[in-house]
Amino acid sequence: MRDVLIELENVGIAFDAQRRVGGARFWALDDVSVSLRRGERLGVIGRNGAGKSTLLRVVAGILQPDRGRVRRAPVSCQLLSLALGFTPHLSGRDNAILSGLMLGLRRRDIVARLPAIREFCELGDFFEQPIAAYSSGMVMRLAFSVAIQVEPDVLLIDEVLAVGDAEFQEKSGNALRERMGEGHTVVLVSHDEQQIATLCDRVLWIEHGKSVLEGDRDAVFEAYHRDLHLSGAPA
Amino acid sequence: MRQHLIELVLFSTYAELRAERARSYLGLIWWVLEPAMQMGAYWLLFGLILKTGGPDYLPMLLIGLTVWQWMKSCVTHGGYAIWTNLPLIRQVHLPPLVFPIVQMLADSIKFLYIFVLLLVILWCMGYPPNTAYFALPLVFLAVFLAAAGAGFVVSAVVPLLPDLRFVIEQVLTVVMFLSGVVFSLKSVPSPMREVMELNPIAVLMEATRGILLRGEWPNVVGLTKVSVISIGACLIGMLVVARLAPRYPKLAT
Repeated sequence: MRDVLIELENVGIAFDAQRRVGGARFWALDDVSVSLRRGERLGVIGRNGAGKSTLLRVVAGILQPDRGRVRRAPVSCQLLSLALGFTPHLSGRDNAILSGLMLGLRRRDIVARLPAIREFCELGDFFEQPIAAYSSGMVMRLAFSVAIQVEPDVLLIDEVLAVGDAEFQEKSGNALRERMGEGHTVVLVSHDEQQIATLCDRVLWIEHGKSVLEGDRDAVFEAYHRDLHLSGAPA
Repeated sequence: MRQHLIELVLFSTYAELRAERARSYLGLIWWVLEPAMQMGAYWLLFGLILKTGGPDYLPMLLIGLTVWQWMKSCVTHGGYAIWTNLPLIRQVHLPPLVFPIVQMLADSIKFLYIFVLLLVILWCMGYPPNTAYFALPLVFLAVFLAAAGAGFVVSAVVPLLPDLRFVIEQVLTVVMFLSGVVFSLKSVPSPMREVMELNPIAVLMEATRGILLRGEWPNVVGLTKVSVISIGACLIGMLVVARLAPRYPKLAT
C-alpha cells in the first residue's frame, strides 16, 4: 500500500448561519472520511451544497475540523486559487510575484518563472501595465498563468479547469491536464463528470456533508448514477 | 517557511505602498498634504482663535500630529487588516498576523518619509539638529511597539465584531485629546496634569518633542515602562489572533 499523505476521519465543519451571539450553526461537512495516497488523483463528486468545496479547504489546511480528525504528512497542499491577492493598481508583473508568493512560491522561483508566465498569458506589453487596465478575460489569463506555476506536493483544484476565451480555454485546460498527468497527487472537485472520469483514478462521492462512497472510479460513478436515477435529479 | 513569509511580508508592503501611490492623482503628495491640512485646522483653533497654544505651539503641533498620525494609522489600518483580507484568508493557508504586520510596516515607511520633511521644517524654524537625535530610534521603537500592541489586539477582534470599527474611531479621537497631541500637557492644571502624564502615549509625545525642540534626552524609566506595557499588549494581541485563527476562514467580511 502506498503511503498516505492526508487522512480525514469523521470530519465535521460547522459554520455560523448568522453573525450574532447564540445564532444557529449549520454543518457544511457532517461526517467525511477519506484518505489520499501519494500519486493518487482523487475526484470529488456530489450535488450542489454537498460540501465539496469545504472538503477541499479542509484538505488545504485552511479550515480546521470542528469534530473528527485530520492527519497529514509533512507535505505542502495548495488550493489552485486564481487571482489570489491581485491588486488593481499594480502591474501584471508585480501581481504575478505577489500572487505567486501567496500561493507558496519563493520569490526567486517566481522571478525565474516570470518569462514563462508572460509567454503563457500572451498579454504582451500589457504585462507591465496595471491590471486595472485589463479586461476580465485578460485578468483571468494572467491569474491562470501564475497559478499553473505552483507545484505543491498535493494540488487541489476546484472547478477551474479552463478560463478565458475558447482558444485560451483549450490552452489552459491542456496545461492543467498535463500537470495532473505528471504523477502529482491531485484532488479535483468538478461538476463535469467527464472531466473526473478522464483525469481521476479514484472518486469520493459526498452528499449532505457525508461521505457516501469512496473507491474505484467506475464503481462510484455507477452507484452515483443509480442514486440520481432513483431520486429523479438531473445528472 | 519562515523565509517565505518574510518575502511575502516585504513584497506585500512594497505592493501596498505602490498601490496607494497609484490610487490617487496626487499620489505621494497626499502623504504630506493630509496631515498638513489637519495641522492647519488645529493651529487655527488653538493657536489663533483660542490662543491657548502657548509658545512653540506650531512646532509642537507638527511633531504631535506627525507621530500621532503614524500611531493611529498602525492601529486602524493594521487593526482592520485581518477583517479586510478575510476573502483571501478563506482561500489560502497563511498566518493571519501577516496582514496587520504588512499594514503597520507600510505606515511606518510612510511615517519615515514625512518625518524627514518634518525635520527639514523644524530646522528652518530654528530648531537645529542636536545630539539627543541619537535617542530617536529608541523612542520610535517604543512608539511602534505601542501602536502595534493596540493594532494586534484590534485586528484580532474586528473580524468577529466588525461594528467595533465605529467605536474605535471615537476612542482614538478621545485618546488623541487626552494624550497632549494637539496641546501641551503643561497647560493643564494640577492635579489633572499628573494623571494625564501617566498616559503612555503622552510620555512618547513628550519624549519626541523634548528631543526635537529642546535637545533633551528622553526619560529612560518612562520609556522602558511604556515599552514593557506595549510588548505585553503585542503578546496578548498575537496570542488572541493565534487563538481565533481557526475561526477567521469561516467569517464573512
